[in-house]
Amino acid sequence: MKYVVTACIGALILYCSFGFDIKPEDIRFVRPDGWPKPVYDLSKNKITVDGFKLGRKLFFDPILSRDGSTSCASCHTQWSAFTHVDHGLSHGINGLKGKRNSLTLFNLAWNKAFMWDGGINHLEVQPLGPITNPVEMGNTLENVVKKLDTAKGYRARFYLAFGDSAITGQHVLKALAQFTVMFESFNSKYDKYTRHEPGGEMTEQELHGLALFRKHCESCHNEPLFTNYSFQNVGLSLDTELKDYGRMAITQDPHDSLKFKVPSLRNVAMSYPYMHDGRFRTLLQVLDHYTNTIVQGPTLAKEFRKPMVLSPQDKTDIIEFLKTLTDKDFLFDMRFREERE
Amino acid sequence: MNYLLRLSLFLAILLLPAYGIAAPAPDSGVVTIVIEPMFGDQPLQLSDKQYVDNFGDTLYIDLFRFYMTDLDFGSKADTTFVLAGYSHLVDAEDKNTRSFSVKIPAGTYSSFNFTAGVDSVDNTSGANGGDLDPAMGMYWAWNTGYIMAKLEGHSNVCKTLHHAFEFHIGGYMPPYNAARNIDLSLGKEITVGSATLNKIIIKADVSKWLTTASLAKVNSIVIPGKDAAAMADNYAKMYSLDGIRHFEYPVIKQ
Repeated sequence: MKYVVTACIGALILYCSFGFDIKPEDIRFVRPDGWPKPVYDLSKNKITVDGFKLGRKLFFDPILSRDGSTSCASCHTQWSAFTHVDHGLSHGINGLKGKRNSLTLFNLAWNKAFMWDGGINHLEVQPLGPITNPVEMGNTLENVVKKLDTAKGYRARFYLAFGDSAITGQHVLKALAQFTVMFESFNSKYDKYTRHEPGGEMTEQELHGLALFRKHCESCHNEPLFTNYSFQNVGLSLDTELKDYGRMAITQDPHDSLKFKVPSLRNVAMSYPYMHDGRFRTLLQVLDHYTNTIVQGPTLAKEFRKPMVLSPQDKTDIIEFLKTLTDKDFLFDMRFREERE
Repeated sequence: MNYLLRLSLFLAILLLPAYGIAAPAPDSGVVTIVIEPMFGDQPLQLSDKQYVDNFGDTLYIDLFRFYMTDLDFGSKADTTFVLAGYSHLVDAEDKNTRSFSVKIPAGTYSSFNFTAGVDSVDNTSGANGGDLDPAMGMYWAWNTGYIMAKLEGHSNVCKTLHHAFEFHIGGYMPPYNAARNIDLSLGKEITVGSATLNKIIIKADVSKWLTTASLAKVNSIVIPGKDAAAMADNYAKMYSLDGIRHFEYPVIKQ
């Protein structure tokens, strides 16, 4: 018995210190029943064990930043659904602050456009945003390729993943996509409720919250992805210091002034603060804004043109429902942990 | 004449291995595209040579790069051969990029078309490779898309830092798509076959970029939009056919 315990503890220590080994069955992409067809074409970037592991290594490696200080994971931590929890505005190299709140990362295969302003049109080229932003990683892809070329172990990993030890920008980006596209969240209490599975028993309060949600929020945050991927002005006052007009900077169309991406509300209880500039710390503050402080304007979403009326109890119930969107399987999934060597 | 013929044969044989074309299949032949960056009627020299534009302003060119994609060879018989998806980045600084060879079906051709820039498919299909690799420095990160052509330099009339001017032209979304179709008539028919090498020599005249507004007024365009599309109309005019060289070489019987 004693030996068994010792062996178990030993195995556990080994397991923890070497990270989670990836097997072919761990990289199977799932399209949950009833979900739309993913936008990302996985057939053009087939996920392999080596590609996934390379992407994971890159995701956690600060080598991507100019001064070696900041990795993707610096602002996208798993337990907060891959956002920068508690940071209104994310910061990067030299402690410089960005002007936007980092987005959560999951179910990215369904994303049509990336970033709060939708300026990036494809999952594979999304990392170029943070890599090149002077206040995030402050680097260039050319330089990333050069640094990786001389870094220990990378050429062999690129060979395993792509059959070519010559490191290219394309392969850096494809590897990152193989890793991040596997961030799938579809096992929250809400999901189990809709699938009539054990663990999906909703309380009366949560069900009331769901009913209110469907009445007031569903037009933009629609199920099952909890976003319709549109860009909306939700009546936030313009921050006079940041002067961020959102989508208009991309399209140069005044009709897009003050519009930002509708984010998915999955795992929302874990990913505070909220809104594109992280101005609200709690979900209650967000709901209070929707009922009390909408700024009217020509591009305001039609849903907010008439006041939204919610009682304090309604708000509490909606928040209780939103908490059922927390997916612990995803937040604690060992596949997405940093690999230790 | 005899001498010339022999010289060209000699050159052709000498040059062939340099283009890395081992033995074209009997039903195809090699065409080499040569790009000559110019300023007006002079070969372009980067950085240290002073030029004068249409407005009489003096200037220096420091960087000149552009994409040529989707090559298309047309014949009088109205058949065309399209090398769709073919992409080549020309960098005035790098001699190796100023010529490239393609293999096309044997036949006679009288026109050569290409896209000056990068089409919308390549702008929306994620991380591409080769000359379209985003690590080539011709890619916008924050607003996805290729910089289809880049011209940078300096002029005392620019009231900017280091008197610099920069034109990074791109954008694939209508109405401001900056890709332009360039249609070059070859002026005659060229015969392409297993025993031929044709060189199509194209001039790319930088001065055509600077014909619509003086550098004092317009010296920076670095985002897609109306100004970029207008500049694309200018750079579409920079291409002209300089000449064609045709080489024949003996087929070695085995």
